[in-house]
Amino acid sequence: MKKFFSLGLIRGLLWQAVGTGIGVGIVTLIRVLMGLPAWKAEPATVFGALLGVFFFLAGVGAFTDWFRMAKGEEVEEMPDESHLGAMRYFGVSLDHKVIGIQYMVFSIVLMSVGGMFALIFRTELAETGMQFLSLIEYNTLMSLHGIVMIVSILVGIAAIMNYTVPLLIGASDMAFPRLNAFSFWVGVPSGLVILSSLFLGGFDTGWTGYPPLSVRAPLGMQMFFLGVALVGFTSILGSINIIATIIRLRSKGMTPFRMPIFIWAAIATSIISLTATQLIGLSFEMVMFQRLFGMGFFDPVKGGNPILFQHLFWFYSHPAVYVFVLPGLGIISELLPVFARKPLFGYKWVAMSSLGIALVGFLVWGHHMFTSGMAEYLRVPFMYSTLLVAIPTGVKFFSWVATLWRGKITFPVPMLFVLASIVVFLMGGLTGPPNATISTDLHLQDTYYIVGHFHDTLFGGFMFPFFAAVYYWFPKMTGRRLNEKLGKLHFWLVTPSFFVLSLWMMRIGLLGMRRRIADYDPALQFQTYHQVMTFSGYFIALGVLVFIINLIWSAKKGEPAIGNIWNSRSPEWQVPSPMPMHNYDRQFEVVGEPYDYGLPGSTYVKFEGE
Amino acid sequence: MAESNNTSYKRMGLVIFGILAILTLMEFGLAVYLNIWVLLTLLAILKAGLVMYYYMHIYRLFTPDSDTDRHSYAYKLVTSRLGLWLFMLSDAFIFGGLLISRFNLMGFTRPELSQPLGLAVTSILLVSSFFANRAETSMANGDRKQFTISTVITMVLGILFILGVLGVEWQLAPFKAADGVQGAVFYSMTGFHVFHVLTGVIFLGIVLRNAMRGHYSEEKHWAVEAAAVYWHFIDVVWIFFYPALYLIGTLR
Repeated sequence: MKKFFSLGLIRGLLWQAVGTGIGVGIVTLIRVLMGLPAWKAEPATVFGALLGVFFFLAGVGAFTDWFRMAKGEEVEEMPDESHLGAMRYFGVSLDHKVIGIQYMVFSIVLMSVGGMFALIFRTELAETGMQFLSLIEYNTLMSLHGIVMIVSILVGIAAIMNYTVPLLIGASDMAFPRLNAFSFWVGVPSGLVILSSLFLGGFDTGWTGYPPLSVRAPLGMQMFFLGVALVGFTSILGSINIIATIIRLRSKGMTPFRMPIFIWAAIATSIISLTATQLIGLSFEMVMFQRLFGMGFFDPVKGGNPILFQHLFWFYSHPAVYVFVLPGLGIISELLPVFARKPLFGYKWVAMSSLGIALVGFLVWGHHMFTSGMAEYLRVPFMYSTLLVAIPTGVKFFSWVATLWRGKITFPVPMLFVLASIVVFLMGGLTGPPNATISTDLHLQDTYYIVGHFHDTLFGGFMFPFFAAVYYWFPKMTGRRLNEKLGKLHFWLVTPSFFVLSLWMMRIGLLGMRRRIADYDPALQFQTYHQVMTFSGYFIALGVLVFIINLIWSAKKGEPAIGNIWNSRSPEWQVPSPMPMHNYDRQFEVVGEPYDYGLPGSTYVKFEGE
Repeated sequence: MAESNNTSYKRMGLVIFGILAILTLMEFGLAVYLNIWVLLTLLAILKAGLVMYYYMHIYRLFTPDSDTDRHSYAYKLVTSRLGLWLFMLSDAFIFGGLLISRFNLMGFTRPELSQPLGLAVTSILLVSSFFANRAETSMANGDRKQFTISTVITMVLGILFILGVLGVEWQLAPFKAADGVQGAVFYSMTGFHVFHVLTGVIFLGIVLRNAMRGHYSEEKHWAVEAAAVYWHFIDVVWIFFYPALYLIGTLR
């Protein structure tokens, strides 16, 4: 029992509960002292939740080293945590590999929660009329499905980048290990704050939280805003770390165009999440202030402008899509040459295309607002800038196809997911331009076509590459490989069902099914479609369940895989798995091109003393 | 040698402060007699550029490493500088968003605020930036006494600024937070900024305490530099907020 309470996570959760209570108490006390009615739910809960997050961080120990530094005490540069064993996964660890795995587990947990929400409201949709959910419950589940999945994706890309970036560039850890741990741990209590909205009245705006509806929504809205604003710090602080690590800690000889291609994707992603994330935080804080203090940002009666919220919100939330997909596309480019046994076609173009997508991504947010009442003259420029994104994305597709061309392709599970993600992302990409073109978007706005489109981009751009990355790097984490049979079962359960789901979403969208609605007219005859889509949803969930079982089973009893099982040229595979505490025992120097597969006698890295 | 070095950094700080003070007065005069937002913006950019170059040493980001050993203090110092600048870049987007909101919501009108008070708090922050720079350069030149005096003055001025904004300006303003869009803009912009000033004062306090205990040396004083650079960053933000709130546009 004592051991149980010594776990950082448990301590953090207890402290969070205490902190929330104290916060609620403070607000109530102040109200009593000011002579106001003692209980007002909104300020008390918001302040309580905010204080709870800080208490969690203090309880888990994310501040400990910083407090010691502020007191002028020395802190250990790279503490040896090996005596803690598996315990270090449940508390603050400064090792980027541990943090990467913590991120991964957290992401999968959130993914399961968000997926469960989807299953619940999909079951409701299988029949017309309302069966077992009330309208607000449906709205809350639908909105939470959106935001929980988004947070899960942000955490998932952080998992991949945290685990692989220092390994790929030959660093012993991140540039700022304490900041790295903080970035992870701030996400956990914030995630709980978001989920707490389920029990505080829910909210009915969808994940976008547009005012004026969000100003009038139940209390759960505030938890959503607060949680997302705080979880943003995971992205912001994480990307500071990624950029600084890549700029400062590359191995000798690793010039920019000899970096693994995934590093370019990581840097492009981090540029977006470093800067743009602040604006979603700001826009959400502004709505919170409007609700708490009556500030009239988005209240037309007071001279405010609801469209301003959409500008601030989409200035992050569109580039965020590229935050979600760029690391995934980087993984596709990273893994394809390994399994096609061929050099990556057009390395420099692929590297630049990541940066290109990131930069163009900053200029396209208005295409979400074609029907919102935004100034008319802004529509056409935003249409063209949006269509421009197709060019760097196309570069990537040509590179992938050319890399596969006449390769000696093998089909282990990671490669299956890579190939699936190329196809799915192509579908997502090709269904995009009709949404960017004003004339067609006016019809497609707010239909299931949009839902199908973005599920395609996110599955192709994140989910499948994430699965591929986990199957690929799992031996590096544990020294055992994931079971191939279960992996193939996972793949064949998820992929066909996903095709059915997303293609049918687009089909009924074109036929007139509105998105975000809890019920639909039986005369539309969508019932069969919805039933099949619900079944497909269950198959996907089953596949993910197989994946989770595989992770747990293989970590303990999987087939040992110490060596370079994928026959990769990448430095992390040249040393035995699992990776030792502070990564490479011997430093390496980059002496060749990263992806010259099939060229006899060429090597990418040379280790000291070889 | 040490003597001439000593005076040169002090003279430099004074010269920059003089230029910034003159530019601020020009800004104010310009706003009174010739209210052209382009000129006011250009002046603000010029002032911010001066602060970023001479006070925040942005060029240090681009100097090559003196020591290539990854575990040396010099190498980590450059990494830490990069981290701090990335953080400030990220933070700048919040303030940028607030500025954009201000112009979107209020256009070229400005809230009714006390002009002398605005000029006063701006001057306080400007002078505090001078002392923050004096503190940092003194530490780099080994003048402990000067460092302590300057840091204390910076902190006092910072607290004065907070009191000036929260205690005087917020109380005197003829509108409350819930009163129309000018209340929303004014209280959110100054609120976010004052929060940063407060964190800056705390940071300076920690640095001062540790310096008194002799934790820093002429060569190793990253925390001092970081506190000073962060303080100047807050000043840069105010350099843009001051014309946006007080000078640009006609009275609402």
